[in-house]
Amino acid sequence: MNKAMRSPLMYALFLIPTFVGIVLFFIYPVANAAFYSFTDWNGIAKTYNFTGLANYTKSMSQNAFWVSVKNNGFFILFSVFIQVPLIILFSLLIANVKKLKGLYKTAVFMPSVMSTAVIGILWGFIYEPDIGLFNHVLGLFGIDKVYWLSDRNWAMISILITNAWQWTGFYIVMVLAAIISIPKELDEAAMIDGATGFQRAMRITMPLIMPIVSVVIMLSIAGAMKAADIIIVMTKGGPAGSTEVMATYMLKHSITSFKYGYGNSIAVLIFIFTLIITALYQVLVVRRTERIEY
Amino acid sequence: MTKKLKGSLAHILLMIYLLVILYPFLFVLFSSVKTDNLAIAQNPFGFPKEFQWSNYVEAWVNAKISTYFLNSLYIAVIAAIATIIMASMASFALTRMRFTKLSPMLYQIIILGILIPGNALLLPIYNLMRSTNLLDTHWALLIPYAANSIPFSVVILTAFMKSLPSEIEEAAVVDGLRSPGIFARVVMPLTVPALVTVFIVNFLGNWNEFLLANYFLSEDSLKTLPVGMVGFRDAFSINYAQMSAGIVYSVVPVMVIYAILQEKIIEGLTAGGVKG
Repeated sequence: MNKAMRSPLMYALFLIPTFVGIVLFFIYPVANAAFYSFTDWNGIAKTYNFTGLANYTKSMSQNAFWVSVKNNGFFILFSVFIQVPLIILFSLLIANVKKLKGLYKTAVFMPSVMSTAVIGILWGFIYEPDIGLFNHVLGLFGIDKVYWLSDRNWAMISILITNAWQWTGFYIVMVLAAIISIPKELDEAAMIDGATGFQRAMRITMPLIMPIVSVVIMLSIAGAMKAADIIIVMTKGGPAGSTEVMATYMLKHSITSFKYGYGNSIAVLIFIFTLIITALYQVLVVRRTERIEY
Repeated sequence: MTKKLKGSLAHILLMIYLLVILYPFLFVLFSSVKTDNLAIAQNPFGFPKEFQWSNYVEAWVNAKISTYFLNSLYIAVIAAIATIIMASMASFALTRMRFTKLSPMLYQIIILGILIPGNALLLPIYNLMRSTNLLDTHWALLIPYAANSIPFSVVILTAFMKSLPSEIEEAAVVDGLRSPGIFARVVMPLTVPALVTVFIVNFLGNWNEFLLANYFLSEDSLKTLPVGMVGFRDAFSINYAQMSAGIVYSVVPVMVIYAILQEKIIEGLTAGGVKG
């Protein structure tokens, strides 16, 4: 018995392919990015110099870098303060309707399985100033044309709307699953006590779904830190850098202009920011989640 | 009466949301058979007056949809299969083989990958691919795609394999099977439901991936559908009817898969909490 399932050789053989992948595509890249972030390597030359923290201080002194940090911040604020309330509202609505529940759930999730690049193209068409959908709708109310993606004031919010359109349903389904798993007795007991629907939602459902809402907040913050493809497809960071985020800033300064060391210092900063958020998540959310019992 | 009103208010709000989700698709679908930009501009909301089906033919040819489609298809499938083989072998060893001290540690190392933001690793992986001369070949996508989905797949598969009763190995050992046999003939067949979910989620992730595909391949004939579509948009954005036909081509396959397998897709995606 023990022999068959305790063979170290077999154990190693089963794990080697995965660990080759993990080492080559996770551990090595992290180490590599950290190492070269302290150098001036251009990514091609045979030689490079150690420059200490120069890349980091350089990025901190660039206005364009701070614009990209600020835009990541916008992304996070928009997700947390606009998307999350909508997610909770629509989850509660779907959970409480009797008919068409399946249709709502299936339809709202659909954009999340689509390619972000294709959604970027689709929405680029919707935002098109002359023949796009948005300006036509505004035209009905007598509002002037807006150059959604080429106006500095509107480009970022246009991207945020598209991003919200794609991902809100994904989180709704997560929250919905949590609401549905709440034992019915709790709600029924409150109903007998005479609580209104609104009171039950606020006093019973909401506290019980807070752990999953915290996870949703965490995931959308992580998503906001990752966002890059939608920006590359819709605005390429423009107009005049107004929609640049850290990830697109990094790509622009490394692959396209051969500042490998500098690009990697941005990568490390993205990594550190995300790590801080993850650590906060562990402390604030995971511990609380474990305490929930029905 | 008020109860009825409240019920219908919920439905009204949800219907508005549904409209917001579905109308963009309908807008593109209608636009894709309109004659030209003028026809779209004059009648943006409505059903087309004349149907110009040739938009689809021209988009197929101009956008080289067939090439991109096949590239995407086989890269997404092969990478997803490779991930499943690696991840299920690892999950088997971690959950079923008796190395109870080592396994939790190795598991932690593997799932650390979920916490690492993919974008931050793009440059080193780009360099790795370049130094091995794999840039501008499909290997430059196949290998990273297969590797990048390992952590998520291991999380799902270990959770599933752990739940199998331990008696199955004992019975198999009595029958004279060794660990590879137990893996291939006992555990894998029992894991099929989880394997299907993991395969679909990884397939969709690979199918939709944009950043690596955009930076690692420059040869047009190698490009995947999302990158090819962006190139097509950049070249033909003046002809919105044809561009819409292109969008329809790239959205329909995913919609069909989603329509058939939506339960499994939702289950898999929300379980992993992964985002595009």
